[in-house]
Amino acid sequence: MNVLEIRNLTKKFGDFIAVDNMNLSVREGEIFGFLGANGAGKSTTINMISSLLRITKGEIELLGRNIVKESKFAKMNIGIVPQDLAIYEEMSAYENVSFFAGLYGLRGSLLKERTVEALDFVGLGDKHKALPKSFSGGMKRRLNIACAIAHRPKLIIMDEPTVGIDPQSRNYILNSVRMLNRMGCSIIYTSHYMEEVEEICTRIAIVDHGKIIAEGTKEQLKSIITDTKEIWIGVKKEDALDLEALKRISGIISVRLEEQTIKIVSKAEINNLNWIIQQLIKDQVEISSVEEQAPNLETVFLTLTGRNLRD
Amino acid sequence: MNVLSIAIFEIKGHFRDKRTFVFMLAFPIVLILILGTALTNAFHNGISVGDMKLLYQNSASNPQLQTYWNGFANAIAGQGVELTPASPGTDGREAVKDNRYTAYAEIDDSGIRFYGSGRETIESNVIQGMLTAFADKYNLAAAAAKISPEAAQAIVVNAVAGGSFIRETSLDPDRKPGSIDYYAIAESTMIAFYACMSASNLIRAEVRRKTALRLAAAPVSKLEIFAGKVIGCTFTNFLCIVAVVLFSKYAFNANWGDHLGIVFLLLFTVVLLAVSFGLGLTYIFKGEAANSVMLIFVQIASLLGGAYFPIEDASGFFDRLTNLSPMRWANNALMNMIYNGDLKAAFPVIGLNAAIAAAFLAFVAVTLRKREAF
Ligand SMILES: Nc1ncnc2c1ncn2[C@@H]1O[C@H](COP(=O)(O)OP(=O)(O)OP(=O)(O)O)[C@@H](O)[C@H]1O
Ligand SMILES: [Mg+2]
Repeated sequence: MNVLEIRNLTKKFGDFIAVDNMNLSVREGEIFGFLGANGAGKSTTINMISSLLRITKGEIELLGRNIVKESKFAKMNIGIVPQDLAIYEEMSAYENVSFFAGLYGLRGSLLKERTVEALDFVGLGDKHKALPKSFSGGMKRRLNIACAIAHRPKLIIMDEPTVGIDPQSRNYILNSVRMLNRMGCSIIYTSHYMEEVEEICTRIAIVDHGKIIAEGTKEQLKSIITDTKEIWIGVKKEDALDLEALKRISGIISVRLEEQTIKIVSKAEINNLNWIIQQLIKDQVEISSVEEQAPNLETVFLTLTGRNLRD
Repeated sequence: MNVLSIAIFEIKGHFRDKRTFVFMLAFPIVLILILGTALTNAFHNGISVGDMKLLYQNSASNPQLQTYWNGFANAIAGQGVELTPASPGTDGREAVKDNRYTAYAEIDDSGIRFYGSGRETIESNVIQGMLTAFADKYNLAAAAAKISPEAAQAIVVNAVAGGSFIRETSLDPDRKPGSIDYYAIAESTMIAFYACMSASNLIRAEVRRKTALRLAAAPVSKLEIFAGKVIGCTFTNFLCIVAVVLFSKYAFNANWGDHLGIVFLLLFTVVLLAVSFGLGLTYIFKGEAANSVMLIFVQIASLLGGAYFPIEDASGFFDRLTNLSPMRWANNALMNMIYNGDLKAAFPVIGLNAAIAAAFLAFVAVTLRKREAF
């Protein structure tokens, strides 16, 4: 059964179409990755699922029930971790979680139990009385998650939960996501960090300009791009490097320079390595290494959208 | 239940915010103290009751009433009321409107009709009080006359001789507002109105700190959220006002009269008015514009309401302007209540405040329903 079913979903802001006739399904038990560049329409989609925004056209079903017609049911079963921290800085960690959980009808000892459980889960069990003002970025992010899970939703939507935090907190969060998943939650996960998505997601959709342009497991996505290859060339003395000239070489899709490595995506069937090397020699660039990369999500993304995930 | 927990959470948040204490408690108390002591002299033992000039037209033919009236006129003249018989053809009401007289009374066999000045409310109320007392005594005497003329005579003699119309209604010297008394009232209503500031932040702060998103995602209706927040905000601000009133009463000995319950009821409606006004503005003006409009309005309304210096005897355009200040309505009603025992003065203001508040709240509720998100 699908936890979430999105059919022909459209969202317009005035004349601007932020989500464009989107179709998507998330199966029960999945950690579903939602990838897209800035402004692709991820948050807009998520905000429609969590009823912050009105749907312009199309429909969304949660566990087979329409979220507009049965909004109470949908809301009870969704937990949302917003992209921006959504917590009360002047209220303690405990009060934050308990307030939001209370809005889901939890009362009395059950409310206490679930609040404690959620705080323990995100590793803030010893910070009940502390105010978020005193928290590090990572701790705030964790509290942001705790506020979304105390009512034990079936579907948890995380909109970039790891943005701007230290590696330790990030690992903690990624582990929590896996653990929530093992406990039976389905999860929608958006991130700008390709490695994260590659690491934890079972299925992935790539969004661009409000549309899903590819969907599947990592392997399925990578197999889309058998027709492209990525070549990394380590260089020194690259002052005279002419990237534009490289881009003009036949078969080349994109070229970028990252820390003394030229990363070239090219059509697979054209053998243009000679031309590339010749151009580099002409520019008097010193070559230190040449390697062909196994396709990764980053390449998939780049090939499909023509953009970097992070810009 | 949700409404209640949202309200309680709101109240907790308010009281945890140091600004609440500074703005809503320390600020008014310091103002009362500073203005109240610095401007003592300006009050020469309180707001003086100004000249009381009564214009009257006596066309009663009943000799008994004539006698009573004359006795009454002498008695109140002795108390400083200047009586002027209206010359035929004078429009007494116009004369009052033009501010030449404090009040105008028409006496004929059917009774007394009173027309007071809207401006000098204290003076005109004093005169009205005297006239009411007179009319009551007269009716009593007239009724008694039907049964026993002697008894009626006794009532009238006693009344006139004892000057009891006046004693019953005139201001006793203790009951004039001193400067502390004045500023205790003026700052309390001002601070009550300041509630609009916190109200304008009620929903906007949720949007700013993104918690609006969580509220929207939770299974509670916007109306519940809205109601909880309004209740919480009104309650917190009202508690602060109660604290300021009690503090000024016991620490500064400010006179709050004998009907504290009605004083609080009136101040409560001022807070409610302010909260709904503040919320309403944020839905009329977009973004920060609402805040600017409100700041300007609050400052002008405070000034016109007499929060910084008493506004007396305003006339013409300025008078009409001062009447636009909700603080002015409230202050006038409070003064009348406390210094004239005129409880009735409070109720129209309470009603007006509640009605305006209801209109703003209804407007916000409807707008909120139509709005996507908040
Ligand atoms: N309330 C709004 N009014 C008008 N345009 C909006 C509104 N919200 C979003 N947009 C536009 O819709 C597009 C999609 O925005 P959205 O926030 O969904 O992107 P996103 O994929 O979440 O991006 P990011 O990775 O930066 O969070 C953007 O171009 C954005 O400017
Ligand atoms: Mg986003």
